[in-house]
Amino acid sequence: MARVLIRMKLAILRHSMTGGKAVWMVIGGLLGIVLAIATIWLSLVDGVGTAVVADLLAATYLVWALGWVVGPVWGGSSVLRTDHFALLSVPRGRLAVGLLGAAFVGVTTAVTLLAFLSLLTYGARLGVLPALVAVPAVVLQLVFVVLLSRVSTAVFGVVAKSRAGAAFTGALIAGMIVLAQSGWMVIVAIQVSGVLSTGFGAGFATTVRAVPSGWGLVAVEAAGRGEWGLALGALAGLALVIVLLLFGWSRSLGAARRARVTVRGTAHAPSRGGVLSGRTGTVVRKELRTWWRDPLRTQTVSVPLVWALGTALLPLTFGEVLLLPWAAPALAVMAGAAASNLYGQDGTALWMTLLTGSESEDLRGRQIAYLIVFGPIALVVAVVFTLWSGLHWTWPWVLALTPAMLGGAAGLGALISVVALAPGPDAHKRPDNPLEHGDTTGQANLMFWGGLIMAIPPAVVLIVGTVRDDVVLLWAAVPVGVVTGVLLAWWLGRVAIGRLLARGPELLFLMRTGRSGNAVKIEMPKREAWLAVACWTFGSIALFPQGVVPIVFMLSGVDVKSWFLAMYLDGALAWIVAVVMVLFGSWLYYVAVRLSAKKPAAEPVS
Amino acid sequence: METSATRPDDGTVPALRLTGLHKVFADNVAVDHVDLVVPRGSFFGLVGPNGAGKTTALSMAVGLLRPDSGRSEVFGVDVWSDPVRAKSLMGVLPDGLAMPERLTGRELLTFIGQLRGIPDDVVAQRSQQLLNVMELNDAERTLVADYSTGMRKKIGLATALLHAPRLLVLDEPFEAVDPVSAAALKSILVRFVSSGGSVVLSSHVMALVEQLCDTVAVMAKGKVVAAGPLGDVRGDNTLEETFVRLVGVDSGDWEELSWLAS
Repeated sequence: MARVLIRMKLAILRHSMTGGKAVWMVIGGLLGIVLAIATIWLSLVDGVGTAVVADLLAATYLVWALGWVVGPVWGGSSVLRTDHFALLSVPRGRLAVGLLGAAFVGVTTAVTLLAFLSLLTYGARLGVLPALVAVPAVVLQLVFVVLLSRVSTAVFGVVAKSRAGAAFTGALIAGMIVLAQSGWMVIVAIQVSGVLSTGFGAGFATTVRAVPSGWGLVAVEAAGRGEWGLALGALAGLALVIVLLLFGWSRSLGAARRARVTVRGTAHAPSRGGVLSGRTGTVVRKELRTWWRDPLRTQTVSVPLVWALGTALLPLTFGEVLLLPWAAPALAVMAGAAASNLYGQDGTALWMTLLTGSESEDLRGRQIAYLIVFGPIALVVAVVFTLWSGLHWTWPWVLALTPAMLGGAAGLGALISVVALAPGPDAHKRPDNPLEHGDTTGQANLMFWGGLIMAIPPAVVLIVGTVRDDVVLLWAAVPVGVVTGVLLAWWLGRVAIGRLLARGPELLFLMRTGRSGNAVKIEMPKREAWLAVACWTFGSIALFPQGVVPIVFMLSGVDVKSWFLAMYLDGALAWIVAVVMVLFGSWLYYVAVRLSAKKPAAEPVS
Repeated sequence: METSATRPDDGTVPALRLTGLHKVFADNVAVDHVDLVVPRGSFFGLVGPNGAGKTTALSMAVGLLRPDSGRSEVFGVDVWSDPVRAKSLMGVLPDGLAMPERLTGRELLTFIGQLRGIPDDVVAQRSQQLLNVMELNDAERTLVADYSTGMRKKIGLATALLHAPRLLVLDEPFEAVDPVSAAALKSILVRFVSSGGSVVLSSHVMALVEQLCDTVAVMAKGKVVAAGPLGDVRGDNTLEETFVRLVGVDSGDWEELSWLAS
């Protein structure tokens, strides 16, 4: 069974692989390998107690497990969709095992296995027997996270049938992301406070070991201490959890198709509103209805909202209000990440746009609807949270950065939706799980980091204003931020419209078949594709770690050298290097956008 | 841009003319240099077995799929070099594509009408009539995402008719439509043709094509193997017999399924 399914999965992957997809896969895989190696490195850290290393490892495993739960939000539906096998006369248990086997074939599983080998290296530090115990522990832990991912996807799909459910799963997912990233926050905070030598609090150490992701480590540690009962118990417990998850998952496989929670529309014709009249206004009103009625869009709103609030509120647990004002800019950036596949979500409905010749109005309408949905939310969050924090110096920062990031995301999101469209099942073909969609991991990442860049113009004004302690300059950043947002939304939107006009039929074909038409050679040449990737990569490095971060450090007087080139230099030279890096990075980004969104030469149809 | 008022030609050019349309997917020639003329005022039936290239040809004809080579002209207007004008002249029903799914039928018609630039009162009146004819009034508050297959066809057809086009291009319009609705649709189409409109439809159902169409074309393996007035193409036989003869169906394969129901 598993072998047939694996071959099937590989065949599907082979047929749906496009150049763009391959690039994403390589980039994602490389990032994953870096993280996995970092995890292994963690297990080998010297100079601190092994117990502390174990605490860190347990926390890291929890983060990996959460990553597997959250991943499908961007990863989209699995290659082998379970409803394809609903009519197969195979016992559910066997089908579940087979699908699980197929699920192990993938880059993510390989990368996670590499990361979990850290358990083996840690066990080896403790002795031969703990290392031997680590072998089954690694296997069980890997099976556990893969299964956990499948089960949670199924559960989310059931819950998310209604809009309230979709909002709830979105909130849950956002909560997990906050938890996963705050794990790093905690670690960094601990590193600074020098707890590494003294060890963690008992609560932390117990918690990260009490959840199943830590049981493999518990077994290895117990073996190191010679407590064989606990070691075997932990392994058996993990195996039991796996059996229970497998049982639960197999139950869901053959379940009869469940009815969709019906969202009702209104019976009367939509009124033609004053401001929203005209063709663009028509699209805006259509989009607003979709935002209101589609569970997938509900989730798209709730993930960034809860993530931003959670990230800002978490430090309150130790009485810190510093993050509160930044909830609004965070929301603006994450919202872009969640809305980077607007055309893919609507599927082949694009034909209506093409046949009514309304490509330009459609794209602008989507941008405006996006801003109408997220703008007011961001504004309310900005005002309420900044007031609450009492940090009045942050007002110009928040009010300048938020509009730039919102507008930038509206532009970049539209562009990515068109340039890097991720096809998924059409809305009426996913009644069982409204959250099924194309794989947008790469797009979401691009939107997140790209969304930060959008704030550079107002950020520069703000930084200079802060350095010179100039109130007028600080507040001048607000109009700069607004203008930046408007210009970016307009410019990137215009690039996207050009692309949509030139490639509309090809995008429709891509959504119809899941692959791009190979007969129409308007793909980017290979050399340019790699050049674009290089520009994105080096642009990011120059702009952030070598440009913006050192500037922030120098302003705030932090003295961390690490790999920040400018921090090794003195005085004016450091500033010059940092500023040149910012300019160089921005220029590389500009080149990358131009390359990635290049309008193809008009195809002569003779 | 009200289309019924547009007079793009002198009355002699055909409603739809395909010249050398060609499309290759990977190593599969889906449509092989197809030439086709749909005379003005004709009810044109495009028939062919599964995979003959009907949908691909029609998609290229209306501007939804870029041909490798060849031209498509609607009343003399090139679909690929003057798309806005060409697309205003025709109404299209593609097969199996999504629509803006989170709208009700009436909302969908209203928005499409507004995108087409039709005045509001005209849109409201036409939408009401179309919903009546298609018997979609009972589903006033149902979103298109929750429509059945037949209802999807009907709302799709309604959007194709809304701007009073002069040419209708319909891909499998009667598939999954119940007999009562089908009868209503047929009478709409017949009336449309008798008042000067032109219709191109593709179908597997020979009886239907024979009943409705005055001109037919038979496609097989990406090529047009016969085209012309219905009487000329079928001769003294039924269309089905002619079709089987032209397409060359090999009926001897049944013996290979001897294990079935034995």
